[in-house]
Amino acid sequence: MVVRQYQEEIKYLEKITETCWKIKKGFQPNMKVEGVFYVNNSLERLMFDELKNACRPGAVGGFLPGMKQIANVAALPGIVWRSVGLPDVHSGYGFAIGNMAAFDMNDPKSIVSPGGVGFDINCGVRLLRTNLFEEDVLPVKEQLAQSMFDHIPVGVGSKGIIPMNAKDLEEALEMGMDWSLREGYIWAEDKEHCEEYGRMLNADSSKVSMRAKKRGLPQLGTLGAGNHYAEIQVVDEIYDKWAACKMGIEEKGQICVMIHSGSRGFGHQVATDALVQMEKAMKRDNIETNDRQLACAHIKSQEGQDYLKSMAAAANFAWVNRSSMTFLSRQAFAKQFQQSPDDLDMHVIYDVSHNIAKIEEHMVEGKQKTLLVHRKGSTRAFPPHHPLIPVDYQLTGQPVLIGGTMGTCSYVLTGTEQAMKETFGSTCHGAGRALSRAKSRRNLDYTDVLEKLERQGISIRVASPKLVMEEAPESYKNVTDVVNTCHAAGISRKCIKLRPIAVIKG
Amino acid sequence: MDEKEMNCTFAIVGGGIAGVSCAESIAFLAPEEEIILIAASSLIKAVTNMVPLGKTLMQFDVEEKDISVLMKAHNSLKIINDFVIKIDCLNKQVETRNGRIINYKMLCLCNGAKPKLIEEHNNFILGIRDTESVLQLSQKIKNSRRIVIVGNGGIATELINKVDGVEMIWVIKDKHISATFVDPGAAEFFMDRVYKTDTHVYTNVSSLTKRMRYTISNTPAVTGGPALGPDWHDNFDIKGVFLKSAKIQIEYECEIIKILNKSEQKELDATEEWPIYVELTNKKIIGCDFVVSATGVIPNSDIIGLEDIKKSEDGGLLVDWKLETSKQDIYAAGDVCSAGWELARHWFQMRLWTQAHQMGRYVAKSMVSKLKNEEFLQDFCFELFTHVTKFFGYKIVLLGLYNGQKLDNNYEILLRMTKGTEYIKLILKDSKMQGAVLIGDTDLEEMCENLILNQLDLSIYGEDLLNPDIDIEDYFD
Repeated sequence: MVVRQYQEEIKYLEKITETCWKIKKGFQPNMKVEGVFYVNNSLERLMFDELKNACRPGAVGGFLPGMKQIANVAALPGIVWRSVGLPDVHSGYGFAIGNMAAFDMNDPKSIVSPGGVGFDINCGVRLLRTNLFEEDVLPVKEQLAQSMFDHIPVGVGSKGIIPMNAKDLEEALEMGMDWSLREGYIWAEDKEHCEEYGRMLNADSSKVSMRAKKRGLPQLGTLGAGNHYAEIQVVDEIYDKWAACKMGIEEKGQICVMIHSGSRGFGHQVATDALVQMEKAMKRDNIETNDRQLACAHIKSQEGQDYLKSMAAAANFAWVNRSSMTFLSRQAFAKQFQQSPDDLDMHVIYDVSHNIAKIEEHMVEGKQKTLLVHRKGSTRAFPPHHPLIPVDYQLTGQPVLIGGTMGTCSYVLTGTEQAMKETFGSTCHGAGRALSRAKSRRNLDYTDVLEKLERQGISIRVASPKLVMEEAPESYKNVTDVVNTCHAAGISRKCIKLRPIAVIKG
Repeated sequence: MDEKEMNCTFAIVGGGIAGVSCAESIAFLAPEEEIILIAASSLIKAVTNMVPLGKTLMQFDVEEKDISVLMKAHNSLKIINDFVIKIDCLNKQVETRNGRIINYKMLCLCNGAKPKLIEEHNNFILGIRDTESVLQLSQKIKNSRRIVIVGNGGIATELINKVDGVEMIWVIKDKHISATFVDPGAAEFFMDRVYKTDTHVYTNVSSLTKRMRYTISNTPAVTGGPALGPDWHDNFDIKGVFLKSAKIQIEYECEIIKILNKSEQKELDATEEWPIYVELTNKKIIGCDFVVSATGVIPNSDIIGLEDIKKSEDGGLLVDWKLETSKQDIYAAGDVCSAGWELARHWFQMRLWTQAHQMGRYVAKSMVSKLKNEEFLQDFCFELFTHVTKFFGYKIVLLGLYNGQKLDNNYEILLRMTKGTEYIKLILKDSKMQGAVLIGDTDLEEMCENLILNQLDLSIYGEDLLNPDIDIEDYFD
């Protein structure tokens, strides 16, 4: 990282609209294009505080501020037009989470980078609607949550899990939701409301390592830990009545189910395997990046192609996973209300992927180009009339599902023409956090413990808080700020706000 | 009882966690196949309330269930309350004490292990292993003033934590307490709780974190019944009446060399009279009401008919990656077996509830796959050692080579600790994470699990990996 005084650094930053800043070339070395990031006032302060912190003497560490990560991505070979930071951008491995970038498929130098997709490949959000209302669910909330908890498997082979052997896994990796459909877990129309119809055709399970398969096998149809959850939600606010209506959301109080999950250990292993291969490929092909975490390979190289094929298999895995949970949620509701899921109108409103790379057509500076679009912690937000969105949403634009952190509000937005013009049809994915967030004031005291440990003769390093700010600022990027920024910038439109009434977490 | 000769596809010996998990999994994977489970006790162990903390890491409760409950849940499962006396490998038959002959296609031995005792047949020495021994303990403790606890593993640690109202002398062979599970630093972290100096905080924490649903009926326990589950002490009153609160003294780095009997004790210049005296390697002689021996277990691998089956040095039945023994169609899981395959880098065997459960599940998959002639892969839980437990009211998560096992002291520790709140120790070698001890509610389980499995180079983060100001939970997503 180039270390300059903060006053020097901010000379490379320029506010271009009310909600958008530009990062000029030179902010980091070798920038091929400029960077941009979207903020409102409070998010803006967080971004600049983070940079200021990093400029303090002795603050050089492994964690780069969001702006620096966006700029490093702008220095990758083959990048087109701009590296985009969405309002929820925060520090991540390689690309920041909430950073998207597109690479020209016709430029032989263009790269694909696993760090631009993330480890939890095709992590995403699915929303199911019901024709129930809050008053129907509140009295049985506890039972329903327990029933979902019993139905959505929370571990290997637990009750209700979808039995799967090695052969099933191979097929699921190749077929995605077509496998779920064939096995009778989903409805045919579920596929219509998924990106790519829930199946990436270029998936090739032979490119996936045995270790990844072993790591994935026990996990299909399971929720996962960490930030994964299923929530029973209530429609809290409708901003766009017409678009909401097209999604089957009629009025406030209606009950929905949100599922947030990904490819879990399987994706982690696919990404890890690719990183190892790409480090070698970089040496061979003389690819240089500003950050070692941005390991990448030429799209056309063997390593690049292998990664895209195994990434597609992981994406299929994630869709099958969300489909299995859809099946189990429908069962839980049907059991509780003694009605079929069909009678409860439990349709999939939409399913978005926010950790993925896809080949798309975009107009860039007046020319049509075929691009490999990396979205990490960023959601596709295609406008009305786009050929890749389903018939039902041709007039409204693609539904964009934004999950808050567990237990906070979630939103449904719609895609816009503005997003096509500014962000390669992309918007935010959820909440974010800044580097300087102090969870709580801690009282770190090691003396007695260190004395005991040192007798083992093992070298010990201890974690200590770097002096952050005299006063640690509120550095959490809450989902409402994030969504409002996207709406104000016009890169998506607010449609529905949802509030959780029960959380099912592993 | 009814029939003398019975037929089944799968016979399982043992009603502990491994046996029951195995039976339940077979019933799920192959509901059409007949299963017979032979349990010595009419109460069996079942795992409930599973909570995944990561991908291979799971926290669970163990419930004692009556045989009939489990039989009702699975049509294909028959449980008989009997004791295996002989196995005939050639004719694939199990013979029981009540004269039953059970014909099987595949057999799974899940008959556990028994506590190692310092001295057999001594009424003043108690091994803690099964429900019966805890009942005995809770009765004995009521009339006791002082007890000696030997051993430094999980059971000894929990006894120290839970027994109240008596004086306890804890004899451990290591330099620090709970050495089986934690390092000296974590032991220091626990010290306040050991001496119960912060009882106020302690009761708070414990009532907040417990999520027990554990019931026990009054059926008399039988010797040779299944091992205890986690949180076993919740059902028993293990409180003495002699002292208001417990008094604890720890004898480090020593072992018992001699048990002194009545006549020998006369020779001692004892001012107090105790039913039993122990002599320690540090020359101390301690009198007490009784000794609790919690120094590990010996696999129950001596079964008539299996004399020429291959065993490992620790006496367990040697099994391959399929959990099959050296005898075809005889499998073993849980405490009775010893892992005989080439172990993954971050896994090793420990006779714990966690592994009994994992092996029980997996052996079911392995046997069913063989029966159906299906291809299968070794379960991923054997790639990474994981264990969750609770000591002194804290959640303890152990991952991978959490104490630097297999690393020959050639590693680095990254530490973060907040007194009374959390203790995080990461084991790094060549800047790659090899293991972790997470005490308290750290929310770092899944991240550590992934970093150990991914072997990602963490050199650029240095100590910042645990910087308390950085919220790292989703950084590696």
